[in-house]
Amino acid sequence: MSDIRLEVKDVSKSFGITRALKRVSFNINKGEIHALIGENGSGKSTLTNSLAGIYQKDDGLFILDGKEIHPHNQLEANNEGISIIVQELGTLDGLTVAENIFLGHEEEFVKCGIKNTKAMNRKANELLKKYGFERIKAGDMIENYNFEDRKLVEIVKATYFSPKIVVIDETTTALSREGREELYKQMKRIRSEGDTVIFISHDLPEVLSLSDSITVLRDGDYIDTIKSSDVDEDGLKKLMVGREVSGNYYRADYGEEISDEVVMSVKNVTVPGLISDVSFDLHKGEILGFGGLSESGMHEIGKACFGASFDREGSVTLADGTEIKDIPTAISHSIAYTSKDRDNESLVMNQSIRDNICLPSLDGLANKARLLSDKKLEDFANTYAKKMSTKMISVNQFVSELSGGNKQKVVLARWIGKDSDILLLDSPTRGIDVKVKQDIYQLMDSMRKAGKSIIMISEELMELIGMCDRIIIMKDGKISGELRRDKDMDENSLIAKMV
Amino acid sequence: MASQEKKEVSKEGALKKQSLINIVRSLLPVIGLVVVCLLFNILTKGGMWSSRKLILNQVYVVLISATGVFFIMTMGGLDFSQGSILGIASIVVCVLSKTNIALAVVGGIITGAVIGAVNGYFYVNRKIKSFIVTICTMFLFRGVIKYLASNSPVAASMQVYDYDTTPIKLGITVAVLAIGFVAFRFTKFGINLKAIGAGEKAVKFAGLRTDRMKFLIYVLAGAITGLAAFVNIVKNGSATANVGNQLETQILIALVLGGMPISGGAKVRFENIIVGSLLYIVLNNGLIMMGLTTQAMQLIQGVVFLIFVAIFADRENLSVIK
Amino acid sequence: MNASAQTTGKKLSGQAKGYILLFVLVLLSWGIFKIITPDNFGSAKNMLSYFEASLLAAVGAVGFYFVMVMGMFDFSIGANIMLSAIVGCVFANRFGLGYVGLVAGSIITGALVGLINGAFYVKLRIPSMIVTTGLALIYESVANYIAGGVEQTLPSDLRVFGQMPGNLILAVIAFAVAFLLLNYTKIGTYTYAIGSNEFVAKNMGIKVNKYKVLAFIISGAFLGVMAVLTISYGSSMVAVTGMASMSRNFVPTMGCFFGLAFKKYGMPIPAIIIGEFVINIIFFGFIALGAPTAIQDVITGLALLIIVTLTTKVAKGEIVK
Repeated sequence: MSDIRLEVKDVSKSFGITRALKRVSFNINKGEIHALIGENGSGKSTLTNSLAGIYQKDDGLFILDGKEIHPHNQLEANNEGISIIVQELGTLDGLTVAENIFLGHEEEFVKCGIKNTKAMNRKANELLKKYGFERIKAGDMIENYNFEDRKLVEIVKATYFSPKIVVIDETTTALSREGREELYKQMKRIRSEGDTVIFISHDLPEVLSLSDSITVLRDGDYIDTIKSSDVDEDGLKKLMVGREVSGNYYRADYGEEISDEVVMSVKNVTVPGLISDVSFDLHKGEILGFGGLSESGMHEIGKACFGASFDREGSVTLADGTEIKDIPTAISHSIAYTSKDRDNESLVMNQSIRDNICLPSLDGLANKARLLSDKKLEDFANTYAKKMSTKMISVNQFVSELSGGNKQKVVLARWIGKDSDILLLDSPTRGIDVKVKQDIYQLMDSMRKAGKSIIMISEELMELIGMCDRIIIMKDGKISGELRRDKDMDENSLIAKMV
Repeated sequence: MASQEKKEVSKEGALKKQSLINIVRSLLPVIGLVVVCLLFNILTKGGMWSSRKLILNQVYVVLISATGVFFIMTMGGLDFSQGSILGIASIVVCVLSKTNIALAVVGGIITGAVIGAVNGYFYVNRKIKSFIVTICTMFLFRGVIKYLASNSPVAASMQVYDYDTTPIKLGITVAVLAIGFVAFRFTKFGINLKAIGAGEKAVKFAGLRTDRMKFLIYVLAGAITGLAAFVNIVKNGSATANVGNQLETQILIALVLGGMPISGGAKVRFENIIVGSLLYIVLNNGLIMMGLTTQAMQLIQGVVFLIFVAIFADRENLSVIK
Repeated sequence: MNASAQTTGKKLSGQAKGYILLFVLVLLSWGIFKIITPDNFGSAKNMLSYFEASLLAAVGAVGFYFVMVMGMFDFSIGANIMLSAIVGCVFANRFGLGYVGLVAGSIITGALVGLINGAFYVKLRIPSMIVTTGLALIYESVANYIAGGVEQTLPSDLRVFGQMPGNLILAVIAFAVAFLLLNYTKIGTYTYAIGSNEFVAKNMGIKVNKYKVLAFIISGAFLGVMAVLTISYGSSMVAVTGMASMSRNFVPTMGCFFGLAFKKYGMPIPAIIIGEFVINIIFFGFIALGAPTAIQDVITGLALLIIVTLTTKVAKGEIVK
């Protein structure tokens, strides 16, 4: 008898010109917790989403218990014995808890076209009780519950029918300690029943303590599958980042003095529900990092400093005394912001590279009669796109046709063209391949040397450690600690302040 | 590796196809206009050409007010209240023309701008979808028009007939279009509008005060239609209870016939207004000359409208189509 | 709302809150006009006739609700009612099919119009309000051809649905069907699921396009019932052109906004019915005040604008087109 549950064979998947998975092949066994790790954009979620029918793979095979499967949606995947808990909210407003649990599987409760709500709720309540989630009531509308409870409902939804494989995609970051414990318990139960858990997480200690084997992906390539007992954190990190872990991948200097000159002072900033009472100074020529769990409120820091937060209290003041209260003021005072949500907040997707780069600089490009010439705009865009070595056919090409890395280069080209002095970079390397990452790190380093100040918000601790002069750790919307640049700093000291 | 090459090729093919669609997008309306002109001239044995003045006379109002709606649709909004704006503004022009013609022109523009501001307020500040807001104001002000003009049409001063000359009407139309064209094509106004249509959030993060811009565009579109009301009154001499009826549908059809993608965005071109308005009026007049009934014309309008919308829709710009 | 056995105390209070709110609205609208014009408004008999009049739009609105919940819109409601009423009338009258012809003709036509709306929307991938605008032009034209340019009058012996109890019976049947569809079938669950998040719903294996078309068909069929009630109540129907049928869109749409606003209380259908009643009390109130007919349009437009404004939550940073 074979222990192999799932064979992944030469699976490829592209999004436009971005090749998210390149002929990935490996095996997953029965009765194991199999972790899938890699940096952002390495293809972990693409792989599991393809397996669960959310995406359609372009090429290759998924062989489940010796039988090839190609689910077209989650329901078909469920029927094959595969379920998934995604990172985002997977439950739907406007439906009851029970309706959410059985969505797509109503047949069981439908007779002559009439749905037996009573039976459905009874069954759902039984399941909730079995999982120990009695406080959640099957008949309630799902929107009456908070994010965490809704995730628990998703756990029930994904596991009640004893699927052969359960995919858990970065669910733990959204959960409190109790929620996590609950999830771990369920994962172990599934394993003990001989079924398989595929587990995606950024938290390496968690991965090591929980999983039986670990598969590493990098830039869409399969790197290795190893037994958890045979590896430690450093080993995993090396596999994730690859050969560039040494050398000048990140900046190389240590022990440089941070200038005393404060360029931006943030005092008692509160954004209801996101961050509370945050104060810090940004110095000239420094890279200030913000780290934390993705729900820690750190992503709001960038928006708050850019004047883009709603209902912000407290003050953000520049060296010359200007208060930043809205985006136009921020931009006219040489502040730049790149959003984590690049495709919606940083770029106008269905528009040319030219217009995207020129947008904030249009006033400066106009002549005395306030008229613009196409040639001038194209030259301007070309200059800065080339400076960033953006791969493109022409500046009149639409941004939507570019890969993630080149999109980010367009965003950065825009702000360099605007000659910004303070850069607020939220997840600047998210979903970007190693080569472009290195370009961005080098750009940041040279900008720092040119006296520009940078705030870098990132969920990747390694790049924070590698790039920043100071790192501020956020937890539950508050600052929970600050660390100075140090050669010997490791992730554990950061994680300790994060959770 | 072979499959990768294949993908590269198909990618290039897709790009080619994309540029082909863009060419079709810009050429089809023009070709359509030429063909329709020729066709109807042959069918009516030149009857259409000889009545060109009459046809041109109908184009002015549509062309002028379509300019404002064009700006609105470029940013992805809609405006169904243009007919009612024209109606109310026409009544104001009529009343004020008895005092002073210049005052009448200004009064019409201000009236239009005020209604546009009402639209803009509910759309921008109250976050109600633009088409809902504007069908409400359309109906609301249509009621006001009916109330004001139901017993007898509101007549303008006889003085307005002095202005009923082709140079004046054509002059106003050309001036509006020329200013609109320069602003849209050669200033940041056009780039910003298109960017709002293609990705409002990102434009906001690039420093544009999008809410203010959206509000002002609705005011502007109202003001432009207020100006069109003057041309309308110069032409007709009075405002009846039906004044401006259906103008919004005419403008919508005209813009779509001109190749305007319904969701606005980067693929919008200023030429859409001119070609579309001409095509719409020529088509309409041609069909009337052919002796078609109202319902037959409406049937053809509906079918042609749907075909053009389907061809020109910029579906990449609509992630979820509601 | 859908869990009769599981209804918890919390939920009951939610529904009760909704009903109290609606009752206050009824009382308020009645009270205001009763004070201004006490003589010719608001007797029990008056109120009954207002309620009867409100049944028409309420029937259309509960159907249209399926489309609105999914986030789509329909500009051809008025054209649909007109066309369905005329076809029903022609079936009943010219073809001599009597009541069967009237009811079946109208409902089938309505559903067919819904099917066409849905199919064009799904296949062409164009925003629903634009597709239905184009199609409304066509429906109006077709209605004109069928009517032959003359007013279609329903014979007086076929008007049982124009008065009590016929209209009430038909309306109650329609409400019951809508309630059943919404709460006791998959269609209802999927309608809310698609309205909540189309992408997630699609990933769950729901055939989104199929259920969107289905929503248009349901909406169309209910508008067909509304057409029966409308022509029975008003005894005749004129086929108008030039999008004039759009004026019939407003009242059912208003009811739908009531339904959407009270969705959170778990009672959309009662909210639509009572909401339409409130709208009618206000209309008849103005008539009692002697407001000219032209002002009716102003009130209609204003009322919808106010209802939408009150029921729309202003979310910061949200992009609205």
